[in-house]
Amino acid sequence: MHPSLLQDSVRGCPKEIPHNEKLLSLKYESLDYDNSENQLFLEEERRMSFLGFKCLEISRWVICGLIGFLTGLIACCIDIAVENLAGVKYYVVKQNIEKFTEVGGLSISLILWAVLNSAFVMLGAVIVAFFEPGAAGSGIPQIKCYLNGVKIPRVVRLKTLVVKVCGVICSVAGGLAVGKEGPMIHSGAVVAAGVSQGRSTSLKKDFKIFEYFRRDTEKRDFVSAGAAAGVSAAFGAPVGGVLFSLEEGASFWNQMLTWRIFFASMISTFTLNFFLSIYNNKPGDLSSPGLINFGRFESDVSVCLLLSSPKPCGLLGALFNILNYWLTIFRIRYVHRPCLQVMEAMLVAAVTATVSFAMIYFSNDCQPLGPDQSEDYPLQLFCADGEYNSMATAFFNTPERSVRSLFHNPPGRLFYNPLTLSLFTLTYFFLACWTYGLTVSAGVFIPSLLIGAHRTLARLVSIMFVCRSLSQVWAVPGKYAFNGSCRGIVRMTLSLTVIMVEATGNVTYGLPIMLVLLTAKIVGDYFVEGLYDIHIKLQSVPFLHLEAPATSHWLTAREVMGAPVTCFNRIEKVGTIVDVLSNTSTNHNLGKICGLILRSQLIVLLKHKVRELARSRLTQRKLQLKDFRDAYPRFPPIQSIHVSQDERECMMDLTEFMNPTPYTVPQETSLPRVFKLFRALGLRHLVVVDSENRVVGLVTRKDLARYHLGKHGLEEMQLAQT
Amino acid sequence: MSFGRCFLKLPYFTNMFIVQVGALLIALTYYTNAQTSVVAVNTTIPGSEQSASGLRQLAVAVVPQSSVFHPSLRSQFSLNLLSAFPEDLEVSNYCVELLAIFGQRYSTYVNCLVSAARPVKVCQNCYGTYGNLMEIYKNISDQMGPGNVSCRDSLLRSDRLMLVFLLYSNLEDIWTASECNRCVSLRHYSLTNDTLYFMETLNQSLSCFEKYQKQGNHSELCTECKATYRGLNELYSRMEKNHTLCIDIEDSMNMTRILWSKDFNCSFPRAETVPVIAVSSFMLFLPIIFYLSSFLHSEQKKRKLIHPKRAKSNPSFINIQDKFS
Repeated sequence: MHPSLLQDSVRGCPKEIPHNEKLLSLKYESLDYDNSENQLFLEEERRMSFLGFKCLEISRWVICGLIGFLTGLIACCIDIAVENLAGVKYYVVKQNIEKFTEVGGLSISLILWAVLNSAFVMLGAVIVAFFEPGAAGSGIPQIKCYLNGVKIPRVVRLKTLVVKVCGVICSVAGGLAVGKEGPMIHSGAVVAAGVSQGRSTSLKKDFKIFEYFRRDTEKRDFVSAGAAAGVSAAFGAPVGGVLFSLEEGASFWNQMLTWRIFFASMISTFTLNFFLSIYNNKPGDLSSPGLINFGRFESDVSVCLLLSSPKPCGLLGALFNILNYWLTIFRIRYVHRPCLQVMEAMLVAAVTATVSFAMIYFSNDCQPLGPDQSEDYPLQLFCADGEYNSMATAFFNTPERSVRSLFHNPPGRLFYNPLTLSLFTLTYFFLACWTYGLTVSAGVFIPSLLIGAHRTLARLVSIMFVCRSLSQVWAVPGKYAFNGSCRGIVRMTLSLTVIMVEATGNVTYGLPIMLVLLTAKIVGDYFVEGLYDIHIKLQSVPFLHLEAPATSHWLTAREVMGAPVTCFNRIEKVGTIVDVLSNTSTNHNLGKICGLILRSQLIVLLKHKVRELARSRLTQRKLQLKDFRDAYPRFPPIQSIHVSQDERECMMDLTEFMNPTPYTVPQETSLPRVFKLFRALGLRHLVVVDSENRVVGLVTRKDLARYHLGKHGLEEMQLAQT
Repeated sequence: MSFGRCFLKLPYFTNMFIVQVGALLIALTYYTNAQTSVVAVNTTIPGSEQSASGLRQLAVAVVPQSSVFHPSLRSQFSLNLLSAFPEDLEVSNYCVELLAIFGQRYSTYVNCLVSAARPVKVCQNCYGTYGNLMEIYKNISDQMGPGNVSCRDSLLRSDRLMLVFLLYSNLEDIWTASECNRCVSLRHYSLTNDTLYFMETLNQSLSCFEKYQKQGNHSELCTECKATYRGLNELYSRMEKNHTLCIDIEDSMNMTRILWSKDFNCSFPRAETVPVIAVSSFMLFLPIIFYLSSFLHSEQKKRKLIHPKRAKSNPSFINIQDKFS
């Protein structure tokens, strides 16, 4: 982030190293949460009436309502599309398998299944890899970063949303071991960012509304509302959504915002519920508040059994994360070309189908068909007539349905035997681990739930075989399975607990769920961080954690800051400005001690001034805050602005545009102090001054994020170009 | 509805109450006479000396006295009680007759059900008796008897238990659960054509089974009876789609399937293990090739390091850069 490109080219070839987790990428910038209180801003505030501010407040509510509504609609579309596509796929494969079971040639069914899977996934991977790489993965790491204050390029664009939604439909329908919850959260965030701006830059359409909100500050508030709406639509958990936003973006929070976010969440889950119940021909039933629906659990808890699982679960989660970490590093280093990525995704899909088929083929576990046809696509295969292959319930199904059939098979029916469960868990564990991080848009929540649930259930069932005296517990094995659900992978304790409690609709499980989560987190943290944190690290994002590294008090602002700082005079020659801007890739330039001005502001200034200067100086229109807002968020690069020789000689007065009162710290401030200030205020730049109030340096997000506590004490990360 | 009824009938109840109380008094006098000595003995035990066992004895002694409806007593007095009701409270003869018929048909139907429980033939064997039962119940609940007597109120709703209704509704539930309506048209007292056709097909299969089973060769059975069995299966699934299955058909089909698959072992054998394994391992092999080739041929992505402008660099850091160089 420092004007060092020039230096490097002077020094000679820059050093190259393979990608690793201890890098900070140059492409990420910080969001500007702090208002620039320049003269334009003050002027606008003076002009605005009391009524105007009331209107703003109301429009904030309207926007939150809209965000919730649209997010709910998108969730609804995803659900319906996945259900139908997967339905068609499974129908075709089922017909084929039935045909070939009789006449022979089941390997052809296997190939058909693999090809269908690959075709769906190819579609999903192609749009992600070639059109919008930002839509890959679950999207939760990206949103986490955004709420942390990092501007991830292209993450909240309309195009990303479209690719994300289509991608997740394809990958779930393609039978990958993924869920559709993470993408929902990302979608919600994009919707929020789009709606709150009242325009779409991609579609080149400006509705001329909500112009006041075209700032990082406002946008980020709405994005947190969108993320909450996404969570609430995905899990049917409005409070959990609010808490998710709170947990991720906790440093900038106020009560009104919380209330608005809660509103958005509620609207979102209601919209989804409403439209889904219309789709299911049960209007007014309102029985599917989230994309994932666990149904209702009977209330009857014996806590000792519930608590039997968390520790191994945490271990399993840790193993998952470690494996995925190595895989992701390999992918970043070697599988970086789009066509390779598409191929990889297709291979994973084909192998998933193959493994599932082999499992089903060699399974001897047959169960009688239920009276109510609860199995969606029962496969008979080699089972006796009137029975179905119980392995097929787990594999020949979308993951979500698989979860539901696990939790909700009628009590008293011994629906899975321990061997089936263990095998399923094992394969699914590796499949899910392999799948996460592919260039498809997909979430990891459902798979983790499945792994945990199956593992616990497997153990439970085997226990039960030993002591028949416990046979009373038979009635509700699903419940115990649920509690074992592996949260070792993700590790967001508070919001996840609430999401779980809400998704099951049963407060009684609150304590057990919480304890299980807590234990799993502690055990997991002992070995490795959460999956999302790993991915954030691997993407070289300058992510600011809650606190500065513990042993960093001896570091002072002087060592942390970037220096020297580019300075302009209060009234500067246009030529100088253009030269400085062209030579560096910095975003910030400093006008002595008197104020701070941003690169983006300068560019806008240049653009307009230049245009005005071409006419006459006298008729010069006064530049307004609106001009800056119109340019937001895609400021043109400096190369696109042409400045003639004449204009270079003109003088430009920066006084009214710069922020006259930037935050400053003395050189001797310790790193944790700087860190606190930075994170609590959501700063982008922090000016470091000496005793005479002269600028000596500038602290940015990357200067702070590069310190982390490693195995050998405090370590420093490298800046790299990615 | 029932609440309203109760309210209207209040005078009756008070009447009845008086009568009952009278009867009780009589009963009490009899009883106390018989038991007086015991009670006297027990009550004369001094309070200070009362141990737990003494209390229990006392309770034992007192309880029968207070419980008027002791079984032994009821059998003695109930007939007297009934005959003591005034005319208008009594159930009319017509209704009593209906009740008797109901009881008869009820027991016939239940007997039929029990005998048809395994293998399930509750629809085909008992639809006649169920029809009769339904008829008599309809008479009780809907029709007016001679002299505009309705037995509905007197038989079905005059007490909390509503025994007749309860009995009938239990059987009705069984009928609904067994989905017999789908196989039987009660209007014509006959099985539906679909059902008859299914039975016929089933019999064909079973006779085929029987024929080859005698020869003791199951493989021959599997080939010879396959056609009829499959026809039966198809018919069954067609009926399933049309919702014309009742428990009889389901059960007989189940039994046939078990015969076919488990006893005769005619389900499909797992014959193509080799090709499936071959294709699977080929598929599993693909990613290995993919990753190996991309490891070997794809150039590794390098990151250009950038040296930030710093006031002074601190040598005490462990530089990651050094590790990789």
